[in-house]
Formats: sequence, structure tokens, C-alpha cells
Amino acid sequence: MPERLRDADTAVHGNLPVLAAGIRSFTFHDDETAALRDVTVSFTAGSFTAILGASGSGKSTLGRLLAAWLPPGGHGALAGFLELSGSRLEFDGGPDDPRIDPAQWGRHVGFVPQDAATVLSTVRSTVAEELAFGLENSGMERTAMQAAVGRTAALLGLHDQLEQDPARLSGGQLRRLAIGCAIITGPPVLVMDEPFASLDAAGADGLAAVVRDLLARGTAVVILSQSIDPLLLEAGTWVVLSGGTVTASGPPAAMGACSGVVPPAIRRPAAAAAAVAGPRPVVPQTGTPALELRGVDFAYPGGPGAGRWRRRIVQAGHPNGVAPVLRGVELAVHPGEIVAVTGPNGAGKSTLLRHFNGLLRPSAGSVQVRGANISGAPVGRTAASVGLLFQQPRDQLFERSAVREVGFGLDRLVGPAQAARRAAAALESVGLAGAAREHPAELPASAQRLLALATVLARKPAVLALDEPTVALDGDGLALLDAAVRRAAAEGAAVVLVTHDLGYARSAAHRLLALDGGRLVPA
Amino acid sequence: MTASPERSAAGPARPVRLNPLTLLAAAGSTAVITTAAGSWPLSLTVIGASLGLSAAGGTARRVLAAAAAILVPLGLSLLMLHGLFFPEGTTVLAAWGPARVTVEGLGFAGQRILQLGAVVLALLVFSFNVSLPDLVAALSARGVQGRFAFVLASTLTLLPAISARERRIRQAQESRGLVVTRNLLSRLAAFRLQAVPLVLSLVEDAGTRSAALEARGLSNTGPRTSYREVPDSRLQRTARAVLVLAAAAALVLRLVQAGASA
Repeated sequence: MPERLRDADTAVHGNLPVLAAGIRSFTFHDDETAALRDVTVSFTAGSFTAILGASGSGKSTLGRLLAAWLPPGGHGALAGFLELSGSRLEFDGGPDDPRIDPAQWGRHVGFVPQDAATVLSTVRSTVAEELAFGLENSGMERTAMQAAVGRTAALLGLHDQLEQDPARLSGGQLRRLAIGCAIITGPPVLVMDEPFASLDAAGADGLAAVVRDLLARGTAVVILSQSIDPLLLEAGTWVVLSGGTVTASGPPAAMGACSGVVPPAIRRPAAAAAAVAGPRPVVPQTGTPALELRGVDFAYPGGPGAGRWRRRIVQAGHPNGVAPVLRGVELAVHPGEIVAVTGPNGAGKSTLLRHFNGLLRPSAGSVQVRGANISGAPVGRTAASVGLLFQQPRDQLFERSAVREVGFGLDRLVGPAQAARRAAAALESVGLAGAAREHPAELPASAQRLLALATVLARKPAVLALDEPTVALDGDGLALLDAAVRRAAAEGAAVVLVTHDLGYARSAAHRLLALDGGRLVPA
Repeated sequence: MTASPERSAAGPARPVRLNPLTLLAAAGSTAVITTAAGSWPLSLTVIGASLGLSAAGGTARRVLAAAAAILVPLGLSLLMLHGLFFPEGTTVLAAWGPARVTVEGLGFAGQRILQLGAVVLALLVFSFNVSLPDLVAALSARGVQGRFAFVLASTLTLLPAISARERRIRQAQESRGLVVTRNLLSRLAAFRLQAVPLVLSLVEDAGTRSAALEARGLSNTGPRTSYREVPDSRLQRTARAVLVLAAAAALVLRLVQAGASA
């Protein structure tokens, strides 16, 4: 890390902000109303700021502006200023506005976007090389790069993944890689958008340690979030964003739950977990299970010849180079039952869910849906009984509008007339009736997740498999999800949800299981 | 921090890697020398060696499939052309008007097919066995501009990236009731549904990714380094020089011979 540079910065500027912005308004070119207005923020060296806002409050737009991932003039017009280490750039939205060099800006402001996958260069074949990409571009010597990669990997717990293909990381591992890519060059400011999403407990603790370490070294850390994770209680300043403008700002002590300053849509996970009132009544497990896994084993092909970009993973105890992800998994879920599966990042939770509808096939054992073995059935046929919510909404959404998205495949299932009714009802149930004509990619992250949920709910499947359903949801979104899951179970669906959010798992599920070392055990 | 014990790698056990430029020099010079020599025993030897190498590298099936796709139509057209219309042919086996099947014509076509087969196989064996990350790193280390190296690398990884995205969209659609069977018609019908979302998502992806790449200094004009160590040795450097010289010599010899016989 180029510490000298940062120390010099701190010394020269003292308590002057290393990054500041005064946004009178920022309007996207294809929009009439301003996405941000009257937002003034500034960050001094070693300061810790949390920018809190519900989904659609303008958080991500502000983050991308601060990091110059959304350079003024490119996608929208900015009236106001951006200031980096004392040099101020004034904008009025006209053609004479100054131009920002993103690479130059990137050396001072590291950014971790909400969708971690977009950070990947896609041309590097291992995690180590992906981490080094920014260092290579700045011409750092190889030995120094190796030291920086080793240090960053150790900081983020990515040591065991250094030789892996970045495309094969789990959601939580990918987020840590994105954070690593942002901090490895040692920028004086680090801006992170929803960094806790999809991180397991250990990952969140690790991230907290990284943040404290960076603060101690004088880095200004800015976290944009729609939930008040425990780490954010340590922030010096909270800035509350609502409807594109700052509604409150100050030390967290003045913004407790009783103050009413923080809108209820901003989640307080600690409070939610505390509100859980004991275990829920046990659902009688009689009759044929809606879903049953018997002795399921599974391993990804990882040996030689599995593709030139894939690295051979030589496993201790697995001389053929294939590591089992699932080992003898037994699971029976009855209609009306809600089962939560937890486990660390990379434990194989998503892999498990993909067996339910046949997207992945077990190497041994069987999967039964409503008593029938699905081994020979095409996925599309099993899908009539099993609805799968993917971990990444962008993997699930592919249509041009929200209503088309929910309607895809419905007419084949229930006929056109019924399909239209069901699609409208599903959108209504997740609070997106007003966004039916909008393009899925342009919805805020929380709405994208809810839309993906609506596509699954509309089919009224016998088995509902949800992969990290709470990620990216704000408080309102979480309430909608919770209501939808309970309603589906009450109507007789068997629900399996995979989550790292223990608080939600405890409050929603009848049974809690953990995936550990490839085996499913009671948590 | 949280990795399961299965993920911990236990020491590298990879085979000896050759510098990709050495492989490139070997494949290129083999192609040039075989073409210049025009000798069927040499062509046969190269074909045999290429097949042996690809079998050893575990790529024989893919190499053969690609070679067949290139060589079968070309071979047939060569046979038609030279087998039926070879002016120097004297030993006529059959004749239909102006078209005459001659022994010399068939021999010439056979030799050309062998020559072509040797060149195609040598290059295919190279492209199926070279490590793309190594090739890109080797080129950047030789001063190929970062942007160009990136374009090259992303071109080489474009097909896998597109097929991975297409697979994701198909899985999303299958999970919502799209039935895709092994039947070719069913697959074609399914692909029709994936084409538009595929293109749109690739365009959108390129937009968001470019901001990340710019911020990470892809467009820096200064010197660049490479994290990946590409194996090289004096022996390999010498071998590359010898191979290039041999190819040049074969070419010169061929031109001199052609000049003398003219």
C-alpha cells in the first residue's frame, strides 16, 4: 500500500476534507426529476461515515458520483461541486463542465459497488491476478504486488481462494474480492455500497476488522447502507438520505430508534432479531413430503480438461482433483413448513437449492418432488412444482418490463386469462403494482429482488426455494418478503430458504439447518 | 476465515508449463516449414505428431472436431478440383467430357490435403493447449499495450463469457417452466427466447463494467507490469530463435528452388 502518499495527504491537508461534494441537483439524462438534490457531504482523513437510506433513496447514485463511476456529464447533469484533496471542480450541467479522469480519481477514491460482480475485469484467471489488476496498471513491481496481494487476501480471508477462478466464487467471497480490489491500491477514501449484503457472520466480522484497520491508518471510510449493521454504530456521522435529499445528519447517538430521525424503512437487524418471540409452532410432519432429498452427493467437475480457464484444484484427500460440495444430504420438507438453511460463504447453499428443480443433478442419491423422482424430468417440467429464487436477481430477470417478467411462462402453466390475473396479483403482493411497465434493470436493487420473488410467487409452486432472499431488501422490502413467505406456507407450500441472516432465519423458519462440510445438520 | 476445509488447496502439482510464445513459435514454424517443403512424408509426420500431442494434452476430441469442420469441406473441394481437372495428368482412370480423373491429379490433391491437414492440426493443437492467461501476460510483458492486451484477452474469452451468460438466462427460463429437451428443434426454439435478453444483458454489462475498468486504471498510459509469472528459460529463447530461423530458411530455400525451376 502506498502509505507515504496517504501520510503526505493527511499531513498537508490536516483536517481538511479528503473528499467533499455539494450537490445542488443531479438529474439523469433520461429523467425529468432530480435523483439527488441539496446533498452536502464531506469526509476527513480517518473519518467513518454511514449514509443511510431505504431502497430508491439515491444512495447508490451518490456513491457512484463520489467515486466518479458516474462521471458528471456522462449519464446525467450535475449542478454543484466535487472536491478531492482540496481541489474543487465546479459543475453547472453545461458543456463547459470540467471532465473527470476516472483513473486519477480512482487512485484517491476506492469504490465497492452494490453488485460486486461488476468489479471483475473478466480477463484474469485467478483471484490473485484479479486483485493485482489495478496494481499492474499502475506499474508496480511484481514482488511488491505479491506482498500486497498476500496482505489483502489475509485481511479479507481470501487466502484459500487465491488460485481459484473469480467466476466460480460464492456470492460472499465475490463481495470480499470486490472489497480487496478497491483497497489494494490504498486509496485515501473508501466508499462501499451495501458491503454487508450476502456476507456471513464471519465475513461481516472480518469486514468490520478491515474497516477499523483502514480507519486507524487514516483512510476515510464511507458506507452506504439500508440497514444499521452493528459496525455502523461505530461511525462518527450518520447521514440519512430520503427521496434524494439529506433529511438528517449527525452522530449516531442522536439518532436512536426513538428519535424518529431514521425512517422505519431502514432496517435495524439487532432490533429485528430481538423481536423474535420464541420458537414457532412445529408443523406436523405427516404424509408425503413436498420435497425430499435422499443421500444426495454432489461435486463440481474440477479436474484437468474441465476448461482451460478453470484451475485444477488439487484437494487433500481427493487425489482425483474433485471436491465434494454435498455429502449424503438428507432433507424432507412437508407442505406448510418453512425450513431455513444457514452456513458460511462458499459452503454450497446455492448448490443445494439448485438440486431442487434439477438445474444440478446429484452424483449419488435422489431428489423427490411430491413423491416423484425428478432425475429424468427436464427442469422446465419440474418448475411447475418448484419455484427457485436465484441469489442474484440479475441472473433471474431477463425481460423488458416487470409485468412481462412475471408473466414469462405463466400462460403455459395456467392459460393466458389466468396468467394476466396472477401476474398482476404477484406484482401487487410485493408492492410493485405501480412499476409494472418499468424495465427490471432500472429498478432499485430492493425492487429487483422483490420482482424476482414475484416471478416465483406467481407460479404458486408446491416447493418454494429462496436463495438469500433478504439481501438488498430494505425494511419495507423485508416486511413484504416475510408476509409473502408466510402466506405461501399457509397456503400449503413447502419453503426452503437459504440465508446468512440468522435473525431473519430464526424469526421466519420452523426449523433451522446448517450446511457444514457438505452435510446438512440441525443448527 | 470461513472457507470450508474442502477448499483448502494442498500444494501445487501442475505439469511443467512452456512459454506460450515458444508454443506459438513451434506451431507457426511447423506450419511454414511443412507448407514450404511440400513433402508428404513430412506432412504425415506432422499430422501424427499433432494428434499424439493433442491426445497427450487431453484435447484430442475437440481438436479432431474442429479439424474436421475445417478440413472436410476444403479436402472435398481440393479433390474435385485437382482430381477431375489436372492439366498435367496423363494416366487417365476415367473421363466424362472435359473432366478426367487422373492418377497424377489424385496424387497432387492428396498431397495438398496432407499439407493443409498438417498446418491446420499444428495450429489447432497450439490454440487448444496454450494457456490464454499466459499468452496475454507474455504479450503484455513484451510491451503490448494494456488496452490492446485487454481487447485480445476479452476477445479470446468472449465465447465462453457469452455461453456462460446464455446458460444463466436459460436456467432462469427453465426454472420458470421453459422445457428444453435434447432435441435440436427444442434447443433452437429455446435459443430464440434467449437471444434478445442475451444481447441486451451483454450491452448493459459492458456499460457497468467499463466504469470499474477505468477506475482501476485500464487506460493508464504509463508502464505496466504483470502479476502472472510466465515461465521462460534461455533454452526456450534459443529454441524460439532456431524455430523462426528454420522457418525463414525453409521459405528462402523454397523460393530459390521455385526460381531455379522456372
